[in-house]
Order: sequence, then C-alpha cells, then structure tokens
Amino acid sequence: MGKIFDFDFMIQCIPQILKGIPYTLLIAVVAFLIGIVIGFIGAMCKIYNVPVLKQITGVYVSFIRGTPLIVQIMLVYYAVPIFIRIINQKFGTAFDISWIPAVVFMLVAFSMSAGAYLTESIRASILAIDKVQLEAAYSVGMTTFQAMRRIILPQAIKIGLPVFANFFIGLLKDTSLAFTAAVPEIMGQAKIVAGRASRFFEAYIVAALIYWVICIIFERIVAVIEKRANRDEKEGKK
Amino acid sequence: MIELKGIHKSFRSTEVLKGVDLSVEEGQTVALIGSSGSGKSTLLRCINLLEKPDKGTVRIGDFYFDAHDINGRIKREARKRTAMVFQGFGLFENKTVLENVTEALKVVQKKSVEEADDIGKQYLEKVGLSNKKNNYPRTLSGGQKQRVAIARALALDPKIILFDEPTSALDPELVQEVLRVIKQVSEAKVTMLIVTHEMDFAHDVADRIAFMADGEILESAPPNEFFTNPKSDRAKQFLDRYLQRFNYTI
Repeated sequence: MGKIFDFDFMIQCIPQILKGIPYTLLIAVVAFLIGIVIGFIGAMCKIYNVPVLKQITGVYVSFIRGTPLIVQIMLVYYAVPIFIRIINQKFGTAFDISWIPAVVFMLVAFSMSAGAYLTESIRASILAIDKVQLEAAYSVGMTTFQAMRRIILPQAIKIGLPVFANFFIGLLKDTSLAFTAAVPEIMGQAKIVAGRASRFFEAYIVAALIYWVICIIFERIVAVIEKRANRDEKEGKK
Repeated sequence: MIELKGIHKSFRSTEVLKGVDLSVEEGQTVALIGSSGSGKSTLLRCINLLEKPDKGTVRIGDFYFDAHDINGRIKREARKRTAMVFQGFGLFENKTVLENVTEALKVVQKKSVEEADDIGKQYLEKVGLSNKKNNYPRTLSGGQKQRVAIARALALDPKIILFDEPTSALDPELVQEVLRVIKQVSEAKVTMLIVTHEMDFAHDVADRIAFMADGEILESAPPNEFFTNPKSDRAKQFLDRYLQRFNYTI
C-alpha cells in the first residue's frame, strides 16, 4: 500500500473539487434571496398581525426551526415525487420526476429553511427601528409602502446586516448537505474523488479549505459593505 | 379652520376621549393642557389619524370626514393637510437634516428636487440650523433635532401643526431654544395646536387654553382668564399643583 498521507493526490483533486463551487454558490445565493423574500413577507404578516397568515407563519417558522435541515431535505426529496404522482393521477398528466434536476429540490428545501430563519431576523430588524419614525413618515403623508421603502427598510437592513451575513455563512456551509441528494457541489465532488481513489482525508481537507476561503472572501466583502454603510453617518454628506 | 366634534376614542375598555369638541381658528395657537392620561395626545393623534377615533367628525379647512368613513385615502388626505411634531422627534435617521425636511416635499407633494431643496434650506434657516443641513440626526442635540422636526412640519405648509409635548423629552437647558422657535412660528400666524406642560410658555404663546381632564375639555378660555380665574375645580387643582411646583424652585 502507498503513503500514509498522499500530498500529490491532494493537489491533484483540487480542480475536480473546485467544480463544485458553482453549485454551492447557486444554492446558497438563490436560497438566500428567496429566503429574504419569504422572510420579509413573513415578518410583515407578524408585525401587522395579519389574521390567518400570521398563524401560518408561526407554524411554518416553528416547524423549520424545530426540525433538522437534513430531515427537511429528505422530506422535500421524497415529497415532490409523491406530489407529482398525485397531480398526474388527478389531472391525467404525465409529468416525469426525472425531468427535474436534483438541484431544484435542494433550492426548494434550502429556500424554505432560509425563509423561516430570516422571518425572525427581518422582523427583529424592523422592530429595532423606533416606532416614532414610522409615525412621523405617516404624519407627513407617506403611504406604508413609501415609509417602509424609504425610511424603515434602509435602516433595518443596516441593523440586520451582521445577522444576515452570519446567516449566509451558515447557509453556505449547510449546502454541503445537498450531496445527500446527489448534487455535485463541493462536498459531493470531494466524495466522488475520494471514493474513486479511496483517499478520503486528503479530499476532505481540500473541501474544508475551499469552504474556508469562500467564507473569508465573503467576510471581507461584508466588512467593506458595513464600513460604507456607516461612513456617511459620521461625516455627513459631501 | 380646524373643527372637531364629538370625538370618542376607547382603548379596549378604557374610554380615553368622551366626546370632545374643539376648534382652532386660522392663525390661532391653542394650547391643550391637563394632567397626564387626560387624553391630550390621543386627541391630537385623532386629527391626523395616527389613532382612529371611534366616533365624531373632523374638519380641516375644506376637508371633512366622519370617523365611520375613515379609510386609507382619508388618512392620507388628513395627513397631507396637517403636520406633527413629536415628543420623541421622529427624525428619519437615515436621512440628512435637509433630506428630513425635503423628503415629503419630494415624495408626497411631488415637488422637484431643486424646489424642495430651496424650501428646505429656507426653513432650516428659520430654525437656525442651516449649518447642519448635511449632518445626520444622530450628531445633533435634542434641541437641534426638535428644531429640524419643526422645520420639517413648517415646510409642508400644512393647515395646522400639531405639537405633541415638543419639549418633554429635552434636557432642561435645551427647552428654551425650542420654545423660542415655536413662539416665533406662532407669531408668524401659523395655525397650531400644542399639547404642553410648559405653563409659562402656554400663557405666553397661546391665543386660547383648552383644559382637558378625563377625556373631556372642561374649559376653553384666553390665557389671562384661564390662569387667573379658572372656572372648574379640576382646573384650579391642576394650576395649584403647578404653582406649588414653582414655589419650590424659587
């Protein structure tokens, strides 16, 4: 048998594992964006006490937070085919489950999960803005939409920025669970390479380093954004 | 002219306003005084519909509505005709001082950026804050914040400005600069309704004092008459308490 630790193999498997990056980023970014939309709607339902929707949001958030992500992934993975069979039976259609790529299932699962967590973060960020600003916006004649878009949300986003960034990093790493549905993202690629050569440790080290580097780059970007967001306020404009 | 008739408002089982009538003539300043919890602020907020009255009618110039008909459009129309200065300032923290004043001119009144800026600068000059126009509210003192809020209200050119305890959140040494500005506005014949606990100021500035207790206006009289010869026992007790407090400090 060969070496205890095969450094050359580790280097060799880098290009293959790098191929997983687009999938990783795709799932993380799309799920985050859809999650923001779901989260915003959920937050508004809760803040404005919208009957029925508020209760639905409550159950949804509670369920997602109370179940492991891997279980949710499995539920989506097995629920969608059943759902499609029901549709086929009812309407006599002939949708084929294999038309849908696995990554779509993962986008659904991760978006649902992100939406629930972001509902709470967005709600907290909006409530952190002093209510008198909203009243002031109303008092000068703004509509709720104008007040939200021009006054409340810009501040809420700034307050929530560190929380959203933190959540995105968590999400980015959670995408590694997508390999369970055979999506060839970073972790999936690492598993494939490793399995072929029966050298797991080397491949996983590469995977770990790639995740780490992506997160470091992302943290840098967020730091720049935060600095920009706060710069104006200290100095005044122009 | 502003005219309120039979305004009722309850929060759950507590009746806060029990059928209030009040009118403010054009160019007049009316001071609304009374103990905490007597319904002064709620009455004010029923005019620009930050609170929805349960019953009653409101006339703001040529605009009239009944409490039963209130909807989104009526709320906005009422708010376009009024402006409010809050106890807690309510400045938009993400906007500069000038933008705070011009925001509604641009967004609600649809004025051009140039016109809005001109108006904004003019009113900041009036409250003595031209040099702060590019600052963010966070960097201002409480007194300066409230003066910006007053400029913002004035710039809207409303039928009436509603002041909701404009100096109650200020440090004692900052109260005077804000009261001076409000007095100046009053002298310029802007129609105003002021909820205040500053008795000297009310005496000095108001054309009429309306005294509220337990959700009703018990008295409405010119300041000299009210402060020297209050008619109701509640008003007497109220003024006695205030005079006692003055004796303390002398």
